[in-house]
Amino acid sequence: MTFQFENLAESLQGAVTYIPITLKLTLVTFVWSILIGFLIAVIRNYKVPVLSKFFGAFITIYMGLPLMVALVIYHLLFLTYYEKIALFFHISKSINEINPLIVGYIALISTNVCSYSETIRGALMSVDHTQYEAGYSIGLTKAQTFFRIILPQSVPAIVPGVINNLVGTIKGTNLVSVIGIIEVMGGAIYPCSRTYSYLEGYIAAALVYWLISFILETIFRRVEAASNRFRRQLV
Amino acid sequence: MGDYFSIERFLKLIPKIVPQLSVTFAIVIVSMVIGTLLALVVATLEIKKIPVLQQFLKVYVSYMRGTPLLVQMMVVYYGLPLLMQTIFKIDVNSWSPIVFVDIAFILNEGAFLGEIFRGAILSIPIEQTEAGYSIGMTGIQTFVRIILPQIIRSIIPAYGVDLIGVFHNTSLVFTIGGILDIMGKAKVLGTATGHTLDGYVVAALIYVLISLVLKIIFYRIDKKLVFERR
Amino acid sequence: MIEITGLKKSFGDNKVLKNINLKIEAGSVVSILGPSGSGKTTLLRCINFLERADEGNFQFGDQKINLKHVSKKEILSVRRKSGFVFQNYALFPHMTVLQNVMEGLVTVRKIPKAEACKKAEDTIKWVGLADRKDYYPSQLSGGQQQRVGIARAVALNPEVILFDEPTSALDPELVGETLDVIKKVAQTGITMIIVTHEMAFAERISDKVVFMDGGVVVEEGSPRDIFVNPKEERTQKFLSRFIQKDMYYI
Repeated sequence: MTFQFENLAESLQGAVTYIPITLKLTLVTFVWSILIGFLIAVIRNYKVPVLSKFFGAFITIYMGLPLMVALVIYHLLFLTYYEKIALFFHISKSINEINPLIVGYIALISTNVCSYSETIRGALMSVDHTQYEAGYSIGLTKAQTFFRIILPQSVPAIVPGVINNLVGTIKGTNLVSVIGIIEVMGGAIYPCSRTYSYLEGYIAAALVYWLISFILETIFRRVEAASNRFRRQLV
Repeated sequence: MGDYFSIERFLKLIPKIVPQLSVTFAIVIVSMVIGTLLALVVATLEIKKIPVLQQFLKVYVSYMRGTPLLVQMMVVYYGLPLLMQTIFKIDVNSWSPIVFVDIAFILNEGAFLGEIFRGAILSIPIEQTEAGYSIGMTGIQTFVRIILPQIIRSIIPAYGVDLIGVFHNTSLVFTIGGILDIMGKAKVLGTATGHTLDGYVVAALIYVLISLVLKIIFYRIDKKLVFERR
Repeated sequence: MIEITGLKKSFGDNKVLKNINLKIEAGSVVSILGPSGSGKTTLLRCINFLERADEGNFQFGDQKINLKHVSKKEILSVRRKSGFVFQNYALFPHMTVLQNVMEGLVTVRKIPKAEACKKAEDTIKWVGLADRKDYYPSQLSGGQQQRVGIARAVALNPEVILFDEPTSALDPELVGETLDVIKKVAQTGITMIIVTHEMAFAERISDKVVFMDGGVVVEEGSPRDIFVNPKEERTQKFLSRFIQKDMYYI
C-alpha cells in the first residue's frame, strides 16, 4: 500500500466536480426540511387536535431510525415497487430513466424534518406564555400574535439551532452514496477503482467536505451575527 | 414481486438478527467508554489553552465535526495500516475490521463529547472551585467532590443524545464488510436468500425500539436529578 | 492574630493593592469599607489565597508566610484555619443543605460521618434553618442560602471567617435575617473580617473599621474614629455620601 500525490490530485479533481451535487442535495434538503419542520412545529405548538398527536408520535419514533437504514429500505422499496407506482400514475419512463436522487431526497428530508422541527419547537416554547395573552389582549388575532409577537422573539433561538443542524445535513448527504448517487465522495473514489488505492480518494473526499462545511458554517454564522445586530437595534 | 416482503420470513429473521446486537453494542460501548476518556482529556487541554496544542485540537475538532463519519471511517480503514507500516513497521492488515471502526468512532467521539464536556466545565462558575478551596479542600478533592458531580449532572441530556447518535452511527459500519452487526447480518442473510428487505426492516425496528428505550432511560435519570439543579 | 505587611497585588498593569499593612487582633471584628474598585475584596481574597499576592508577608498565629514564595502546603494550612463567605453564596448546587455543611467536615477534617452529621445539624439549627436541612440550594431564598454559606464556614470551627460583601446580592428584605446571623457569629468571639457596604451594621458590630481607596489603607480606627471623626478627606467624602443615604435606616 502506498500513498501517491498524483492520485490525491486526481481524486480531489473528481471530488470538486461533484461539489454542485452535494450542495444541491444539502440546500434542497435544508429548505424543504425547514419548511415542513416549521409547519409541524407550529401544529404541535398550538396542539392542533389529532395532527399534533400524530406528528408528535411520528417524530419520536422516526428519530429512532438511522438515516442509513431509512435510505437502504426506501431504495429497496423503490426498486421493487416502482413499476406498480409508474403504472398507477401512468408514468411511461422505465426505472433506469428515473434518477435515484428522488429516493435520496425522501430519506434525507424525512430525517432532517424531525431535527429541524424539534429545534424550532424548542425555540417557540421558550417564549413566555404571557406573550400570547399580551398579544390577544391588545386585540391581535391568533395569526397576528404568532407572526408579529411570538415568531420574532423565537428567531434568535432558532438561528443558532438551525446552524448546528446544518452541518449534520451536509454530512448526511454523504450517505446517499450507498444507493448509487454520486456526490463528493463518489467523485473522489471513482479514480481509485483504477489504481486500487482508495486512501487518496477518501482523504480527498474528507478535505472537500471539510471545506464545504467550513464555508457554509462561516456564511451562516455571518447571518446569525446579522440577525443579532437586528435584534440589538430592536432593543 | 408480491412476496418480496413476507411476514413469515420477517419473523424467522428476528432470532437470527437480534443476537448480532452484541456486535453493535460492543462498538457503542467501546467507543463511548474510551471516547469519554479521550473527550475529558481533549476538553481539559482545550481549556488550559496550551500554545500549539490548542491549535492542533482546534483542527482536530473541526475535522471531526466537518467531515462525514463514513469518510472518517474509510480514512482510518485505509490510512491506519499505511501509517503503522511506515512509522512503526507494524503490519496491521490482519486486524479485524472492527478495530478500525472502533478507532474511527473513538476519535469522532473524542471531538463531539469533548465539545460537550468543555461547555459543561466552562458553565460551572469559578466560585464553586473557590468555595471548595475555602473549606480547605485540595485541588483534586475540589474537582472530584464539587466540580465533577456538577459536570455529570449538566451533561446528562446531551450525553444521552450523543449515545443514541453513536448507536445510530453503527448503521454505517456494514459498508466496510466483514462486520456482522445487525445491519451486516441483515445484508448477509438478504444476499443468501435473495430477499433483502425483510432483514433491513428487522434492523430498523431494533434501532427504533432501542432508541426509544435509551431516550426514556435518560429522560428518567434527568428528571430524577432535576431538583439538584439551579 | 493576623498581620499583613507590605502586601502588593497587580492584575497586569493594574496595581490593585499597593503596600497594604494591617493588623487584626484575635477575636476582633474588623470591617473593611471603601468604594468599589478600592481593592477591598481582592485583599480579602488574598488572605485566603483565592488570589495570589505578588509580594508581602503574612503572619497567621505562629505561622509566618512569605507571600512571594508560598507553598501549596502553606496555602492549605491557612485555608483550613479560615472560613470564607461568598457574595453570591457559592453553595454546592448538587448537595442538600446538610451535605453542604458536612462536606468540609467529612472530606477535609475526616470526621466520621455520624459525628459530622450531628455537628452540621447543630450548626444549621443555629442559623435557624433546621427545617430546611434536606432542601437543595435552588429551593431556598437568597437569605436562606447565605445563612447556609455562613453555617458551612462556621461548622469547621475556623480561627477567622472572611465575609465578602455577604449581603450585597440579597433583596433588601432579606438583608436583616442575614445580618442577624453574622452578629450571632460575632458574639461567639471568633475573629471576623467583613467587606461590606452596610455602614450602619459595620458601625455597630466592628471593633475596628478599615477604610480603603485606590489600593491603599487610607485610614483605620475604632468605629467612632472613622464614622464620627474621620481624619482623611477621602474618608469624609465617601462617608458623607453613604451617611446621607443610610440615615433613614438608622
